[in-house]
Amino acid sequence: MLTSKVFVKKTKRGGVLKVVREHYLRDDITCGSQHCTKCDHNVNVETENSPETDIDSYNVGKSKTQPLVISPPSNSELCSSSHYVIPDTNVVLHQIDVLEDESLQNFIILQTVIDEVKHRSLPANKRLKDILANSSKHFYTFCNEYNSETYVEREPGESSNDRNDRAIRTAAKWYTNHLQEYEKDISIVLLTDDNDNRTKAKEAGIMSFTVHEYIKSLKNGGNLIDRLAWKSSAGTQQEGKLIYPEHIATSDILKGVKSGKYLQGSFMASRENYLEASVNVTESEKFVLIQGHQNLNRAVHSDIVAIEMLPEAEWSCPSSLVLEDTAQAEDDALEDDSKLKNKVPEHLRQPTGRVVGIIKRNWRQYCGILKPSLLKKGTKHLFVPAERRIPKIRIETRQAEDLATQRIIVAIDSWPRSSRYPQGHFVRKLGNIGDKGAENEVLLLEHDVPHQVFSEKVLSFLPKMPWSITKEDMKHRKDLRDIVVCSVDPPGCTDIDDALHCRLLDNGNYEVGVHIADVSHFIRPGTALDEEAANRGTTVYLTDKRIDMVPELLSSNLCSLRCDVERLAFTVIWEMTEDAKILNTSFTKSVINSKASLMYSEAQARIDDKTMNDELTLSLRGLNKLAKLLKQSRIDAGALCLASTEVRFQVDSETADPIDVQTKKLLETNSMVEEFMLLANISVAKKILEEFPNCALLRRHPSPPPSNFEPVIKAASSKGFIMDCSSNKNLAESLNKAEFDENPYFNTMLRIMTTRCMMQAVYFCSGMLPESEYVHYGLAAAIYTHFTSPIRRYSDIIVHRLLAVCIGADASYPDLLEKKKTQSLCNNLNYRHKMAQYAGRASVNLHTHLFFKTRVQDEDGYVLFVRKNALQVLIPKYGLEGTLYLNENKKSPTQFVYNEEQDTQTAGDVVFHVFDHVIIQLSIDRSNVQHLKLAINLVKPQIPGFSVAPASQVDGEKEKVGPPSKKARK
Amino acid sequence: MAGLELLSDQGFRIDGRRSHELRKIQCRLGVFKQADGSAYIEQGNTKVLAAVYGPHEVKGSRAKMLQDKVLVNCQYSMATFSTGERKRRPRGDRKSTEMTMHLKQTFDAAIITNLYPRSQIDIYVEVLQSDGGNYCASVNAATLALIDAGIPLKDYVCACSAGFVNDTPIVDISYLEESGGGPELIVTILPKSEQIVFLEQNSRLHEDNLSKVLDVASKGCKDIYAILDRAVRDHVSKVSNVANTTE
Amino acid sequence: MADVNYSEAEKTFILHGIQDKFPCREDGRGCEDYRHMEIETGVVSNTSGSARLRLANTDILVGVKAELGVPSPEKPDSGCIEFFVDCSANATPEFEGRGGEELATEISTVLSRCYDNSGCLDLKSLCIIPKQQCWILYIDVLLLECGGNLFDAASIGVKAALYNTRIPNVTVNQEDDEMEIELSDDPYDVNRLDISSSPCIVTLSKIGHYHVVDASQKEEACCLARLMMGVTAKGTISALKKEGWGSLNPESIFDMMETGKKIGQVLNTSLLNVLEEEEKSGNKRKTVGFLK
Repeated sequence: MLTSKVFVKKTKRGGVLKVVREHYLRDDITCGSQHCTKCDHNVNVETENSPETDIDSYNVGKSKTQPLVISPPSNSELCSSSHYVIPDTNVVLHQIDVLEDESLQNFIILQTVIDEVKHRSLPANKRLKDILANSSKHFYTFCNEYNSETYVEREPGESSNDRNDRAIRTAAKWYTNHLQEYEKDISIVLLTDDNDNRTKAKEAGIMSFTVHEYIKSLKNGGNLIDRLAWKSSAGTQQEGKLIYPEHIATSDILKGVKSGKYLQGSFMASRENYLEASVNVTESEKFVLIQGHQNLNRAVHSDIVAIEMLPEAEWSCPSSLVLEDTAQAEDDALEDDSKLKNKVPEHLRQPTGRVVGIIKRNWRQYCGILKPSLLKKGTKHLFVPAERRIPKIRIETRQAEDLATQRIIVAIDSWPRSSRYPQGHFVRKLGNIGDKGAENEVLLLEHDVPHQVFSEKVLSFLPKMPWSITKEDMKHRKDLRDIVVCSVDPPGCTDIDDALHCRLLDNGNYEVGVHIADVSHFIRPGTALDEEAANRGTTVYLTDKRIDMVPELLSSNLCSLRCDVERLAFTVIWEMTEDAKILNTSFTKSVINSKASLMYSEAQARIDDKTMNDELTLSLRGLNKLAKLLKQSRIDAGALCLASTEVRFQVDSETADPIDVQTKKLLETNSMVEEFMLLANISVAKKILEEFPNCALLRRHPSPPPSNFEPVIKAASSKGFIMDCSSNKNLAESLNKAEFDENPYFNTMLRIMTTRCMMQAVYFCSGMLPESEYVHYGLAAAIYTHFTSPIRRYSDIIVHRLLAVCIGADASYPDLLEKKKTQSLCNNLNYRHKMAQYAGRASVNLHTHLFFKTRVQDEDGYVLFVRKNALQVLIPKYGLEGTLYLNENKKSPTQFVYNEEQDTQTAGDVVFHVFDHVIIQLSIDRSNVQHLKLAINLVKPQIPGFSVAPASQVDGEKEKVGPPSKKARK
Repeated sequence: MAGLELLSDQGFRIDGRRSHELRKIQCRLGVFKQADGSAYIEQGNTKVLAAVYGPHEVKGSRAKMLQDKVLVNCQYSMATFSTGERKRRPRGDRKSTEMTMHLKQTFDAAIITNLYPRSQIDIYVEVLQSDGGNYCASVNAATLALIDAGIPLKDYVCACSAGFVNDTPIVDISYLEESGGGPELIVTILPKSEQIVFLEQNSRLHEDNLSKVLDVASKGCKDIYAILDRAVRDHVSKVSNVANTTE
Repeated sequence: MADVNYSEAEKTFILHGIQDKFPCREDGRGCEDYRHMEIETGVVSNTSGSARLRLANTDILVGVKAELGVPSPEKPDSGCIEFFVDCSANATPEFEGRGGEELATEISTVLSRCYDNSGCLDLKSLCIIPKQQCWILYIDVLLLECGGNLFDAASIGVKAALYNTRIPNVTVNQEDDEMEIELSDDPYDVNRLDISSSPCIVTLSKIGHYHVVDASQKEEACCLARLMMGVTAKGTISALKKEGWGSLNPESIFDMMETGKKIGQVLNTSLLNVLEEEEKSGNKRKTVGFLK
């Protein structure tokens, strides 16, 4: 049967197009129930047959089990018999949190619903797809739009929503009739919150409830109720007084934005002041200030909003106030915005506007805690998000007492005009406040790190175990199994993605090989596994946890180049002269068998031990020798050696609480491995750019604008050094010269400060930028990419694929050669890398806090920056940086005086300069449960009324102030 | 793939077909009285009229005349209202000229040309509505028109297109599927001998997948052949019935 | 013009038939009879309106496409119609390439002259925002087979296609001086054209001393001169044109006009009847097109 869809659409150029599309209706779409004997359930299997007959007959293929079980047990009191559930679009869109719950099974998702969901919310669509792919959920997609019995045509005067509702009812009715004729009836329950739809369904003889009715009727539905989103239909009767201005309609917004009446931008709430925000106006890089409840008008951080500029006379400036929202939940009145309304002197005024409408909500799920409520028994509560830029959220829950001690997740449903706070619903608990697991979870969620368990669909693309290398695998590979290859990594590393070898050739040259795990062999483009990895972008390392980019089977087993097993690799082989000149470079896919997985220290020991002369050790020595030469030539070219402090916590094996910290030690072997990785990356970058000038994925590090270096130049000059920042080479030389005997840490600090001046290195697609911008400043390389860590970076997987195509070892695919797609992938990778970095840092902070939970400790520190009201202090032992606030206590007899010119703070006869050595005391400030802070107090030099007693003295052991107690008390 | 999902998780294409299913084909021979042969074909919403004149003496420049075989003269044109956005000219643009050449190449290979030396056969194709696979529908219509005109052919000439989405070849792609930017393979075969007389590929398709897509397209051609053959037989029996009754 | 060479004898036969007291045409028709006509609308689904007309062997396909455009400066408050005629080579090899252009231009000029009159079609209703935006109706006539009397056939096809035309309803949102056009998302929310006073062309061919309507290809070959006129249902003449190499005396022109008016009125009425009859079978009607 055939029908056609006709619709008119506007083209980009403003023309009007009548579009006619065919729409075939079929008789071979099955109901998906195991109970059913009427449908021929074999059709879902791929069949090959001639076109004229395909609709009536088909080859009988292998039977596939139908997802809907024969007689699902019913938990519902509303419908005690076995039943399948059909939710409508709004139910899926708004209650996806509930649908994801394992207890809800045997749902039928109609094609109409999927199409609408796809149209309205991409994240919801993705989650729905995941549910559908999960076979244990017993969800079935019924293609009602292609079924000749359930297709409905839009009628004159019918809106497309009404038509879709009718399509859903028609499908529900079809199912009801279809399944009725069996001995044991299976009912159909239609879930819809639309009253009209429900009435019509009931008239047609379809069992129909609201989501709330249905979930409440479930015997085990107790905790599901809290997770239901607020009924948006209740919002039609606005209760209470309206306290916010109305948002204007989307069409008006778009028109207004087009005409310039409104501006579009992303809304960024202030961290310090809940009544302030700025809007980053799209296309103009302009920031517009928004102040006060009425003007903020229910926008939430990261929403895309439309704003209207206020007349210039009403412009304001950011108040330097730190305001926390302290109002009580129960009364909805808005406190007066007058706190902010002070006359602003004209020269300070900034462009100020107000939010008139929301273009796109970017709500996500928020972590936080429940605000202790005065009425313990009530169900309405306020939720305080961990992210300070997010307003409090009202939720309804009956388990408040239980949740009070928990970190929980809440989603926003809506923000009606009559409600002071947005309304949301409880999603799930993360764990007890202060519990490390829960805190880690918060950290991951807040940094948008995808960390769910890999879905079944993703896992289905993993190789089947036991895995072995087949003939097919060897097709484009070189057999390098007999070469003495080894890997050198930090201790405890299970995702080994690189291995090396080096051997002397007969002609006196060296052959050096870098072998990288061949992840792209396992992760095929376009699979769910690939999409998941592309989305995650990177493995995230927390202090005590690793969130893998690819499932563990790959990361720690099949792709990990462990010793004594055969592994697939992507190999770069150079022939080098004795003085590290590259004679030729070749790339190949290979099979290797690593002879040893060494730690840096082990490798170092082998190199240093003169008595060892086995093949492996010789290989390491050769590598080490060449690496030194390579490094020298790189430094000569102007590469920077920058410093950052990385620390490693020694973690208690049982409680997993940190016991001690140590800064990562750097050995020669670290640099050896690094040197060859850099070389491999550069070689690969050249190769892929040569082959794909338009779509190579590269990494660039822009040179920073000169103004960035000002703080370093100023700081260095205070100690009498002149920094030449005109080029990376000059900068590197200046840094090398800046040695200062009195302060052995001076050079490192200078390097840390220089690091701060740098730009972010980013991935990009070669076709999107002129060649002059490819340069990597820090490495002094004309081009660079990432090739060497495909297990933990997705960028490397793409680079592997590109390189594989270059050497004819693998097929390309359209997306790989599409520069816009590569660029948007790069954007995601850059975002994920940034977030991973932040998450890593936050994890270190978290552990630092845990570490100091039971400690008060005095430590050496150095002044890194002198600020107007504080000193930025670096504590090298922990790699920590703390802010020592000055003049906080206005009554204190000692007041600091800031000298901007000299960059000093003076209190009495004590003067603080940059790089000065201090001793400070570290402890935990517990005044805010959500945001534990590390408190820093000055111990030495002593300033009466400001500095504190050394930690040891607190203990009562009267000791002279001397060397700080290095030992922890426990 | 961003945007439209050309092949759903359930294995359906946007118009409800499965990957291996052709669009609905309807055709008729002998649409016009004056032409020596004519035919009309609908492949989904792609609708094409073809007319054949000849063999007759070479018109226009004598220089075009071939001594050893017949001159196959083609013209491909599209009605100005046939496309979504109105076309400004029915022919003479690059695309139509290219199509004209393709048609000539195809039918040069299929007509037994040495039977009519120093003569000319005209094949005129008019696309009335276009919804993907214009070339294929044109070839199929022209084949029927040639048969209607009684011109000796080596075999039916059947054309079919195929695309490649989510690692699955899809046959007889519509305009919507063509405009997705994915690879497109157009094949014309002589079904009995399975010889390929025309092959064109647009956009990128990896070599390894070529045979899969080619298989699907050839399969499509053979399916089309079955339909065309049935139409010809129906037409012939109808015509002979009419002839019998009038006698 | 699709010329067919006829022998002198054939021509004389036709001429003599008509010269008789009781004129008898080669196919037995009277002087004022039309040949068998078949019409179907909505045959090209991606147009705003379409019609196929078959008048004996004359085959015409008309497609109307409504597009947004800017009104002409002379008539800032009206929409436009534009005629385009294409003579397909399917009709005759002579139309190949640019061979049919002369005839095509001739037909389209006559058509636009017929409609170049505010009474024929309400162009004002096609205006959306004066001076800024209006509907432009592109009326494309495709000539697929020539069996004589192309002008009449084309005009009938055009009128039927206009009857079939549905223009999406638009709403204009005014925002300061910015006007935004919004299309209705309901496919049934359309406007139709009022064609009650649109003309049909009636061509009277002078053969010998008599004039006949709907001349066949053969008759056209014997015709010395002809008069084309656009006639509306009310009998108003919207355009007039004398064509052919022969000459006409004034009296016979008035004669012919009278006949034309009379025939035009009947033609218009019966066309409308047929169209309305077809319309009654509703949306579900399957179009046959060329599949018959």
